[in-house]
Amino acid sequence: MKRVVSVSLGSSRRDHRVEVELLGERFEISRRGTDGDFDRAIQLLKELDGKVDAIGLGGIDVYLYAGKTRYVVRDGKKLMDAVQRTPVVDGSGLKNTLERETVYYLREHTDLLPPGTRVLMVSAVDRFGMAEAFARLGCHLTFGDLIFAAGIPYPIHTVQELEELAARLLPEMTKLPFHMLYPTGKKQETQDEEKVKKFGHYYREAQVIAGDYHLVRRYMPQLDGQTIITNTTTADDVAFLREKGAGCLVTTTPEFQGRSFGTNVMEAVLVALLQKPREEITPQDYLDLLRRLDFKPRVVYLR
Amino acid sequence: MASHEEITASLLAFQEGYNKNERLKIMNRDWDRVVLVQASDIPSQHTLELRNGELSVREGAPPRADLTVISDSETLADLFYGDITPTEPYMNGTLKIIGSEDDIVRLDFISLMIWGE
Repeated sequence: MKRVVSVSLGSSRRDHRVEVELLGERFEISRRGTDGDFDRAIQLLKELDGKVDAIGLGGIDVYLYAGKTRYVVRDGKKLMDAVQRTPVVDGSGLKNTLERETVYYLREHTDLLPPGTRVLMVSAVDRFGMAEAFARLGCHLTFGDLIFAAGIPYPIHTVQELEELAARLLPEMTKLPFHMLYPTGKKQETQDEEKVKKFGHYYREAQVIAGDYHLVRRYMPQLDGQTIITNTTTADDVAFLREKGAGCLVTTTPEFQGRSFGTNVMEAVLVALLQKPREEITPQDYLDLLRRLDFKPRVVYLR
Repeated sequence: MASHEEITASLLAFQEGYNKNERLKIMNRDWDRVVLVQASDIPSQHTLELRNGELSVREGAPPRADLTVISDSETLADLFYGDITPTEPYMNGTLKIIGSEDDIVRLDFISLMIWGE
């Protein structure tokens, strides 16, 4: 049996373990949250190194993409460098393939994304592939990167402006402690009421809200039937979204035993299946494997 | 070591860079803040004030500050001239910023928008 473990800076309350069979291989997939404790995450990564088939890094990004430029998040890289023998991924490779495909799938197979759909991406630099796919399909886009990460009420509406601002800001911003830019640990279980009040209108004006679940959740006001496109949702998350008035939940990663895992976990599973050195894996390898696995987004109507 | 006058000149360059950036002024329309800039090695204090998106600079300390930026005179002058970014000195402890984490990120953001790549 192959073992894949996701080590996350997120809450340990979201820990989960399943056994599944994929392309004839048995997998034990588990997630281990460290409640925002960076040192504990490093220690756990060192313990797992060489003992499991692949590791995913959760609750943090290592690589952010804007256009063709890749930005390295310093704290994420520190975690990645703690692992020497086992392949380790952060989900960014899969975000660039699976999440693009998800957007095209929704256009083709559902009525959730007609041309001109107003889409709020709470953060787009961590999901640039998805942002490009929305833009290509003629959606009206609002990127909330400055709004939610920096509290600046400046909506970005084009991929070009996103790239321009990323080039100016990310080389330095990625050196800051990650918790200053993204909710980690206990912050993932609460909402930022001040920002909900101040910026909630961006959610209400949108028809589709997309992006990292913890960011989506943290700033979410009462909704009116909007579609949420995200991943990594638990049964509690689904109940939360229903209570907030979301109309539909789309998760980009498949559901295993009632839970959609993060892209980092799924990418780690694909790496374990591919059995190629990490640096030799191409986006096409992921796409081919995703087709063989027949992964499709999960669409759940909430009302 | 930089002099008080050099810090003043760097802050005026920072103000000029800020005021030339119309997008930055729009971005900060909601962020009214008083920032005390204080040197740790010479007697030098300045006040940066953001009000309705406009930035003003004056010598001396404000009666009350939302944010306090403390560093040696050389680092302050380098920082406000854009020769260095705030991230490195902030991370290695040379630059201390007292205030809420959101405000610190925002001040970093303004600096990068003026001097960033």
